[in-house]
Amino acid sequence: MVSFEQEFAYRLNFVLWRVRNVFQILLTYFLWSSVFANPQTQIFGYDRTKILTYVFGIMIVRALVFSARAMDVSQDVAHGDLSNYLLKPVSYFKYWFTRDVASKFLNLSFAALEFTALFLILKPPFFFQTNLLSLLIFLVSIILAILIYFLLLFIVSSTPFWVPEIAWGSHFLVTVVIIEALSGSLFPVNILPVGIRSVVMATPFPYLIYFPVEVYLGNIAGAGLVGGIMVASAWVGVLWISLNYVWQKGLKVYQAIGR
Amino acid sequence: MMSRNSFSVVTGQKLALSFFLVGKIIRFLFFFGFLYFLLLGTGSLAGYSDKQIIFFFLTFNLIDVVSQFLYREVYSFRPMIINGDFDLVLVKPINALFRVLMGGADIIDLFTIPPLIILTVYFGILLNPNPLSIFYYLLLLLNGFLIATGFHIMILSFAIVTLEIDHMVMIYRDLTSLGRLPVEIYGKTLQAFLTYLIPVGIMVTLPAKAIMNLVGPAGILTAFSVGVLTIFVALKFWNYALTKYSSASS
Repeated sequence: MVSFEQEFAYRLNFVLWRVRNVFQILLTYFLWSSVFANPQTQIFGYDRTKILTYVFGIMIVRALVFSARAMDVSQDVAHGDLSNYLLKPVSYFKYWFTRDVASKFLNLSFAALEFTALFLILKPPFFFQTNLLSLLIFLVSIILAILIYFLLLFIVSSTPFWVPEIAWGSHFLVTVVIIEALSGSLFPVNILPVGIRSVVMATPFPYLIYFPVEVYLGNIAGAGLVGGIMVASAWVGVLWISLNYVWQKGLKVYQAIGR
Repeated sequence: MMSRNSFSVVTGQKLALSFFLVGKIIRFLFFFGFLYFLLLGTGSLAGYSDKQIIFFFLTFNLIDVVSQFLYREVYSFRPMIINGDFDLVLVKPINALFRVLMGGADIIDLFTIPPLIILTVYFGILLNPNPLSIFYYLLLLLNGFLIATGFHIMILSFAIVTLEIDHMVMIYRDLTSLGRLPVEIYGKTLQAFLTYLIPVGIMVTLPAKAIMNLVGPAGILTAFSVGVLTIFVALKFWNYALTKYSSASS
């Protein structure tokens, strides 16, 4: 409810944020459309239908995974507003998670509209996944992606406990630059050479966008699929333990600056 | 003096400075690497060779980074409008537009501009340009900066009228980032939109095409007409916006 009210209080901001998402998709769409201009082209394991489905899939998966308010936690920590929450009988993690869920719901609604509008305008070939098991695992991979992103945001947002002036700087480096590039929202990870790809796949980032979309496309199956789900689950565990450790350490040095 | 003050503020926060600097370098390297690996697989894109595509990307970055370096103050204009602090700028004996446009150069980009120029020159030489095409390139680069200046003035004006700037400036950056690659890759409608309505094509794609000998005197003339028109419209909008300034909260 708080998330909804906040988003609608700044309606122009929200609309412009959605407009930005459309522009970002246009660059990716036309880039790949140009690469696969010849319908017979097969490259990096994709044909025209699958790569354009990948681009459209990014729209929906981004709205589900990357729509989050937990980025504001760093401001709470840096400006001392965290104290307000520590005094209340609510779980701070659960509070932000519920706000994230509301934000995802709102953004998903708009992403669905944009998806439909762009689909009708651009008329791309589209791959419809009909295998129920693939769709089910796609949903599981989305849930894991949401958890990984939430935990990553919270860990990055903990940096101001020690260095308040880099509240935004740490998010710029990790969330805007590294996650954006390595998650697969700019390009599918499998255009990278095998060596680099293996390293990237060992990090949590490709499990945010690339892995779920690949599961939807049916490009990952068998051992690769099981292995991917296991790695993503392991990252959820590792990040959860790391967050608890970092957060507890952070609370001990928290000075409620500005309060 | 304003730039020196701005540099002092940023250098006072060395850790934040290093985070942003590293972030910007990594972001550039990621996209550069992405293009490299993509072109390794495809060989060309929209009829342009790998070296040409990389040159388009570098020219976009040059205009983008230099504009950010010069016009960083635009990004912090909103609080000035919301709090009414813009009053303090208006009463000073300095051109208000100059102050809010160029009053806070970004030191981070000062580090990234020299290597970017070296890379652009290196990849430019690989395209074997003749002296005339280099001259055209420099002219159109200047025109690109002119259009970028016009866009930033329009964003400032828009901020005065609507009190909204954060997303507007990012939308401008998203739109111009469509120029990271030649506008020919976009569909005909979007291509026309990016060439004539929001002249990203003229601002970014055309200079790079000049070095490839793909632009003649008529193209130069058209580009400059668009550049001058953009500045003219931007200044008109600025003057109009000033009449709407409400001096809120002051």
